Amino acid sequence: MTHDHADPHAPVEVDLSDGPDYFDVMVHALQEILVDKGLIGAGEVRARLEVLDAVEPGRGAALIARAWTDPAFKQRLLADGTAAVEEFGIDNYDGTRLIVIEQTPDVHNLVVCTLCSCYPRPVLGLPPDWYKSRPYRARAVRDPRGLLREFGTEVPPEVTIRVHDSNANMRYLIMPMRPAGSESMTEAELAALITRDSMIGVTTAKLR
Amino acid sequence: MISRYAIGDRVRISARYAPGHVRTPFYVRGATGHIERVLDKFLDPEREAYGVNAGTETQLYRVRLNQSTLWPDYSGEPADVLELEIFEHWLEPA
Amino acid sequence: MSSAPDREPAHLIAHPPHDVGGQPEGPVNISDHELTPFEKHCHALLDVLATHKLVNTEEKRRGVEDMGEVIIGRLTYYQRWAVSAAKVLNEKGLVTTQELGRKMIDVRARLTAEEQ
Repeated sequence: MTHDHADPHAPVEVDLSDGPDYFDVMVHALQEILVDKGLIGAGEVRARLEVLDAVEPGRGAALIARAWTDPAFKQRLLADGTAAVEEFGIDNYDGTRLIVIEQTPDVHNLVVCTLCSCYPRPVLGLPPDWYKSRPYRARAVRDPRGLLREFGTEVPPEVTIRVHDSNANMRYLIMPMRPAGSESMTEAELAALITRDSMIGVTTAKLR
Repeated sequence: MISRYAIGDRVRISARYAPGHVRTPFYVRGATGHIERVLDKFLDPEREAYGVNAGTETQLYRVRLNQSTLWPDYSGEPADVLELEIFEHWLEPA
Repeated sequence: MSSAPDREPAHLIAHPPHDVGGQPEGPVNISDHELTPFEKHCHALLDVLATHKLVNTEEKRRGVEDMGEVIIGRLTYYQRWAVSAAKVLNEKGLVTTQELGRKMIDVRARLTAEEQ
């Protein structure tokens, strides 16, 4: 309750919805205290912001496009995703291990993190809101066919669905099938066909 | 370095329910499947969650489960599977 | 999952609300948004904290899970990360409630002045 005549002894009513955001203030404050104490370096957060801004799904698309055009690289990528990413020159900045799984005519693969939002960030950037949402995380493991239909992807009964719950230390990148009719395309043109959603497994790669 | 389980071994995911931070989802507790892949050793996340950053290296595996046995009302196909990562202390021979 | 008041106490503990695999849910809202400056800042800070093992990834997750269903449901993804970091740092004595509270007053005053 505000008073027309300010009473210096009255409790202060704090309107935390006014002015700078409470959580924004908190993050700034935490950072400043930690820098002041020498627990983190002054430029580290800025440096990490730059890394985050630089990484986007095009990295994963380039990786897949190389695998589509170089069978030996494809085998290395499927055998050890982490090593192949490093070979390709991508900075595996969060130190997670990568498993690359290929879509085949017989098996459709789908990735989810039911417990939180684990995602192959070094090759895809940050996950979309829907990937982090309760409906996606709840239903991908129990009703993958129904869920895929919502993304416009129909998986026929003769194709097996293999759902990967990214629940611990591995991260998953799906290698979509190369679309028919793309045989004469360059690696860069192929990369443009490989969408983020096809590398999660909710859609497939199509000719535009 | 030999791990306790090998690819193809039939395993059951333990049905334990104590409070704490656990990376074995509720929906697979007590389920039976088989080892799809033997991964590396990693720190136990249940201990990491409380600040233990060393000394708890534990073997991690990928386990494949059949969807039709996991869900009573599974509406997909009989061959559909689910795969996830399970630490050795959550596995029992089946 | 039915909401907290309907569930048995044992189940609330044995099956925490973030563990949603297989729970009944509606259609996916296939939307995304560009991260706000706060969200990017928060993500970057937590990454740096993990690198230094000041707040490792599992501690961050545990901090969020411990907030319980009501708060998890009301706070956004990155608001939860921010609070989790504050609580874990506090547990370790690295950033006390008093220190954080005082610094937040300073930061709030500075940001308010900058906005004017």
